[in-house]
Amino acid sequence: MAEVHVIGQIIGATGFSESSLFCKWGVHIGGAWKLLSGVREGQTQVDTPQLGSMAYWSHPIDLHFATKGLQGWPRLHLQVWSQDIFGRCQLSGYGFLHIPSSPGAHSLDCVTWRPLGGWREQLARAFVGGGPQLLHGDVVYCGADRYRLHTAAGGTVHLELALILRNFSRYGIEC
Amino acid sequence: MAAVNPTVFLVMVNGQVESGQFPEFNDLYCKYCFVYGQDWIPTSGLEEGISQITSKSQDRQRSLVWNFPIDITFKSTNPYGWPQIVISVYGPDVFGNDVVRGYGAVHVPFIPGRHKRTIPMFVPESTSKLQKLTSWFMGRRPEYTDPKLVAQGEGREVTRVRSQGFVTLLLNVVTKDMKKLGYDTNTLDMQTSSVIDLSEGILK
Repeated sequence: MAEVHVIGQIIGATGFSESSLFCKWGVHIGGAWKLLSGVREGQTQVDTPQLGSMAYWSHPIDLHFATKGLQGWPRLHLQVWSQDIFGRCQLSGYGFLHIPSSPGAHSLDCVTWRPLGGWREQLARAFVGGGPQLLHGDVVYCGADRYRLHTAAGGTVHLELALILRNFSRYGIEC
Repeated sequence: MAAVNPTVFLVMVNGQVESGQFPEFNDLYCKYCFVYGQDWIPTSGLEEGISQITSKSQDRQRSLVWNFPIDITFKSTNPYGWPQIVISVYGPDVFGNDVVRGYGAVHVPFIPGRHKRTIPMFVPESTSKLQKLTSWFMGRRPEYTDPKLVAQGEGREVTRVRSQGFVTLLLNVVTKDMKKLGYDTNTLDMQTSSVIDLSEGILK
């Protein structure tokens, strides 16, 4: 079986209007793939930056996959949350990205979006906080049910991932 | 001579903890240590180090120069658990107590060559205002019992941090026998060659 190592960090986020941010992340893989070692999902610390507006998480990721087929190449899905002064958390953005398919070091930016809801929800979010969230998280990385949503842009999450592939050339795969 | 069919690969890392940027603080020293997985064994060099105490430079950069050497070689059978460098920076507060000014971590670069890495540094924060005040007076701020925690992904969801500086590392990496073991780490990154900064174009 061919193997894929994904090693790197979720560096941080820019462009969000809130200041104390954290990120929940997870990996989704197809049926032919197996996660041999490493954690499948996690959550970063809450960072309140003192210099500039970028929140830094430096959250390490180290994953080892084995695969029997190319379909279902791993994708990373992210949820950015913000914490207010009362310690309440509200959703700031959903996003996903495919793990790159070529070996080497990649510096990646993941754009995010959040559901808007109706005018009542928008008004409530502006004054009280909170706001609509997705009931099923898989909408983030599956395209099937997206058309029913109305969304707004969030900020950008920055990642640095390195890929190490093993035995792909033995099966004639060109990455 | 090297064996024809290797079972381990080697990663040699050398370089230095070059400098730090901490606008709010002065007279800082740094510690470095390596965190790595079960399959990794350091074969030579020092895993940990403590630098001198340095003051800010007089120029406009106001950087804290350590110029502290790192030199280590690892061997492993599996890239999982690839070594990370954990940097922690300490310095005196207004009462002269040694307190932590930042933790940071980065993976050792994967691709052979010379790499410059600037890593963000953060400190854990007290959760309550009262605790924040008493810890300031007592000079006992929240810190991690083990700095190696910053290299782990689990158990971070409860911590609140404040990022307040940067440390620059210079690292040279040489690998041996990775290709022979079937690992492919090198490629042309199409992204870097073709990217036009979109946001800059709109703003100008």
